[in-house]
Amino acid sequence: MSADLVRVAVDSERCIGGGQCEMLEPEVFLVDDDEAISSVIGSGELPRDRADVVVHRCPGAAISIVQPQRPSE
Amino acid sequence: MLSERVLAPADLQDPATFSQGIPQEAFAEMRARPTLSWTPPGGGDRTGFWSVTRHAPVSEVSRDTDLYSSAVGHIQIYDIDDDALSARASMIDLDPPVHTRLRRLVSSAFTPRHVQSYETAVRARIAERLDALMQSGGGNWVEAVAAPIPIGVICDIMGVPESDHDYMIELTDHLVAGTSSKPLEPSAYGNTTDLRLLPFNSPAAHGINEYARALGERRRTEPADDLITKLIEAEVDGERLTDAEFTNFFRLMVFAGNETTRASMAHLALHLVEFADQFERLRSDPSLMDQAVEEVIRYSSPILYFRRTLTRDTVLQDTPLRAGDKVVMWYAAANFDEEVFDEPLRFDVTRPLRPPNVAFGGGGAHFCLGAPLARLEVAILIESILSRGINLRLAGDPVYVDSNFVNGIEHLEVEVG
Repeated sequence: MSADLVRVAVDSERCIGGGQCEMLEPEVFLVDDDEAISSVIGSGELPRDRADVVVHRCPGAAISIVQPQRPSE
Repeated sequence: MLSERVLAPADLQDPATFSQGIPQEAFAEMRARPTLSWTPPGGGDRTGFWSVTRHAPVSEVSRDTDLYSSAVGHIQIYDIDDDALSARASMIDLDPPVHTRLRRLVSSAFTPRHVQSYETAVRARIAERLDALMQSGGGNWVEAVAAPIPIGVICDIMGVPESDHDYMIELTDHLVAGTSSKPLEPSAYGNTTDLRLLPFNSPAAHGINEYARALGERRRTEPADDLITKLIEAEVDGERLTDAEFTNFFRLMVFAGNETTRASMAHLALHLVEFADQFERLRSDPSLMDQAVEEVIRYSSPILYFRRTLTRDTVLQDTPLRAGDKVVMWYAAANFDEEVFDEPLRFDVTRPLRPPNVAFGGGGAHFCLGAPLARLEVAILIESILSRGINLRLAGDPVYVDSNFVNGIEHLEVEVG
């Protein structure tokens, strides 16, 4: 399993506010309480395997991997 | 071409096919086929349709809302006229981007984080019902536990007063009965609307609409911190919801927040008895709770199917499909796909969480809005049953809801010790 870090992004037009991303990765995603739209907080970096899970679990298909980052230690 | 079509081995439009729950043998036969199975047109409103029974193509159809539309044609297994379609349309009958704008009006109330704030109220409702059942020594599990808990929770969120909860249970029960073999009189609940314009062709839909209107009116002058008030005040693209949009929204939320979780909670009683060893395992290892909840939901698959209409020609599971064709995603079949769930008929609280079951849908824009809430309710119910040491025994066979859409249980007599 790759430990490479990747960066994730949320397409706010597609986000349906399901909150799966925040449930899986609360350090990386925050769903706004009023608008119920997710956004990336902080660096948006995740190990690739965890990023893949979030991308797949997003009901709105709103999360994508934008660029591979450096390999982690 | 038509001669090559492999026919579905059971009458999937007949509620009787589901009278003992999920038709496992027919679904297994269909999953094993290389192509989709075809049900030819019947009389009247019965269009032909393709049945999708494997896990992967159910996810594929769910996620591609451009190709597999919810807005074109009806999402249930029978056809309705265009005017009936638009009269009943709620977000579940629409495609993005309109669907997305409507869904956002309510989605913040159902995010996993927000749902945690309902935990205390859910726990109290469950405690009250379980304690009452223990005192009485038994009864109809559905009436005593499975029905009142989810309706209570969703009504609280919507803003329906406690005194009207029983009326909501009655109305939503009768709503599903619209597609059963024993429909209500057309004039029930004072209905004067042409039945074909009403959801499930049921006069109970009229009753729910009238109730929503009255409650909405009250919230205009007495706003509260609830979803009714939010919907009354909501604007989409600068415009308030129309009367029909508002009542359709209310009806969808009450139905979806109620019948589905109720079905899982009803099936849970069967699981507790039939798979007692699995719950012993959970008791000794509470860290398995998330998996146990998913297994209850997978095994009960409360919503049997939704239908989509093709917007252009394509090929799915080696089956050529034409624009306008209907495909039915049988979640209850995909949740027992041998390729995804090892020994699918085994109830196993240690089953991995990935890949996920499709009881809440196969992903995509229509993924169940209430999934985090349903999971919370089922988890607290299991936990509360185990912590009280409730020992359930069946005192009769389950009576299933007469429907090919909801895998519900109407009556399940239990004794508790």
